[in-house]
Amino acid sequence: MSGGFKSGFRETARIAIEDVELIRSVETATGRFRLGRESALAELPEADAMRDHFKQIRAATLSNLKNHLQIFEANAQAAGVQVHFARNAEAARRIILDLARERGATLAAKSKSMTTEEIHLNPALEAGGVRPVETDLGEWIVQLAGEAPAHIIAPAINKTKEQVADLFREESGDEIPAEIPALTAQARRRLRETFLEAGIGISGGNLAVAETGSVVLVTNEGNGRMVTSLPPIHVAVLGIEKIAPTWAEAGVWLSLLARSATGQPLSIYTSILTGPKQYADIDGPEEVHVVFLDNGRSKLLGTKYEEILQCIRCGACLNVCPVYRSAGGHAYRGETGPPSPYSGPIGAVVTPLLFGLEDHKQLPQASSLCGACLDVCPVRIDLPRMLVELRRDSVEAGLDGAGTAAVTRLAARAFGGKRMLGLAARLARFGRRFVRGNLPRPSKRSFREIWREQRS
Amino acid sequence: MKRPGKPEYGFETLSETLSETIFPAPAALPAPWTSRRRFPDPVARFREALEAAHGEVRAVETLDEALAEVAELLEEIGAEVVVVDSEAPLERLSPGVGRHVERVSAHYADPEAWRALCARADAGITSAEALLAETGSLVVSSGPGRSRLASLLPPVHIAVVPAARMTTDLFTWLESRPGGWPANTVLISGPSKTGDIEQTLSVGVHGPKRLVAILYD
Repeated sequence: MSGGFKSGFRETARIAIEDVELIRSVETATGRFRLGRESALAELPEADAMRDHFKQIRAATLSNLKNHLQIFEANAQAAGVQVHFARNAEAARRIILDLARERGATLAAKSKSMTTEEIHLNPALEAGGVRPVETDLGEWIVQLAGEAPAHIIAPAINKTKEQVADLFREESGDEIPAEIPALTAQARRRLRETFLEAGIGISGGNLAVAETGSVVLVTNEGNGRMVTSLPPIHVAVLGIEKIAPTWAEAGVWLSLLARSATGQPLSIYTSILTGPKQYADIDGPEEVHVVFLDNGRSKLLGTKYEEILQCIRCGACLNVCPVYRSAGGHAYRGETGPPSPYSGPIGAVVTPLLFGLEDHKQLPQASSLCGACLDVCPVRIDLPRMLVELRRDSVEAGLDGAGTAAVTRLAARAFGGKRMLGLAARLARFGRRFVRGNLPRPSKRSFREIWREQRS
Repeated sequence: MKRPGKPEYGFETLSETLSETIFPAPAALPAPWTSRRRFPDPVARFREALEAAHGEVRAVETLDEALAEVAELLEEIGAEVVVVDSEAPLERLSPGVGRHVERVSAHYADPEAWRALCARADAGITSAEALLAETGSLVVSSGPGRSRLASLLPPVHIAVVPAARMTTDLFTWLESRPGGWPANTVLISGPSKTGDIEQTLSVGVHGPKRLVAILYD
């Protein structure tokens, strides 16, 4: 992938779509995820009703978020957890680095966490004298390559086994055959040392359960269990929106998360972490901290973008998105910064909302508004609606050129109501008369007309 | 330990923004979702689900048979060092002669030594407090006599569990479990796996490469 930061979506995507190997890797992986998700949901009774139910849960939770966070704080403290609230990335980095340094940790074992990617924790730890080692195999590969994750749940989706073998050789000096079992065994060997030596374990959290002060962490490899069991301190970092009021809501969350992400009924390990090692426990961390990150989330509450906070980061929308599948994860970036950890349709919406529309104004354009993301979202988040809203905001803020502005304004109105959509279609049929050349012939009758006819 | 919630990072750092937000009246949460699953043969479903995730299931009639299965399995893998949780029904376990069996209860004085043992053990043996038929999951918790590491560090994890601990799914388990949570509860639904290189399945990346659930009536 291109190295320089001065690029933005269009530049990076233009290079990516020429990269046959990259596109093939992404297509294979997303194809597997799509099939897995489909069969997992088909096997679940009343999956659609459960998704509707989950939507209600997420909306209701956000409408009372402050209350749930306070309940979590009280219950987690009662379980011996120290709860921190970080207003922005800088505050979160300082909290975590202080914890590591005050306890003399020089090595941090990390479990894959897009939230810690969001706050650029690793460079801050390094600068503070704490060496972070990613322990999810995919995330370790990404770290060794010095890249950003290319997929929310499969960070090294863009790497071939030959590339991985090269990275592992550089890391250890050992010659490793480019075969997957050998590469996996090498990771097991190298990272086992990290788990046993680390002075601090840092993870994300898939959700926090307010009624018991528990953090739930889902992994397949078992690195999440290692990071939360072996080092003397465990720090979990979560966005403030990742909260389930009670276990009734958490159960629905977990039933949909892995099925939507990888097509598994549950991930291999679902860890429920409630406080530090107890008196009669032989192992476990002495200290547990939970850091809740705001970083632009709370300002979305009560706005037309609140719905984006319902996201549980399963990655299903990436796997179905025709734009993600041809542009790859690294294209989701600002014009001046590194790639966002959030790519695909969710990234196209959440990245400008959290990190600024001005620098990320290309991202809401990176969609054909085909609606596949809405179809697969376990929370039925209306991503196409918000993509259009962001385009409108971009126009209103004068971030787009005049031409784009006019077209976008029209498109926004067209997608906003069926009367306008019908008018646009009729206009297209009319306008074609004045254009020469090989334009596709607009249908005589609109899709809506045909649809109505066939349904009746 | 430090005082919880250093003031500069306490809730008030957020509450300012959260208070400025105009919330509509909080919406009510929907009534809890209840399990829609009915399995005529829960053990068969458990087996199907766990095997699909590359785990192994052996169902036998008595505890004695289950313990004999364990001994056979340890023989088969040539296990020399075995770490075992100190809880029912594992006290009755007597693996073959000459094998080095270490139990949690004997190591409370030296957790570091216990950790080193788990790191070099060939197998770890635990029970499970519940089995989820739908997802083929074993529910394993920390607590007196139970080690997080016995089911995590060795390359083989063997769980000996009464089949009567079978429940339908996540929802029936959450409803029926006692209140209060241990520091660590993990739902284990297969051996450790990854698909991170070329989305190709590889078993045993960090945790056990082999998971064997031995169920008895």
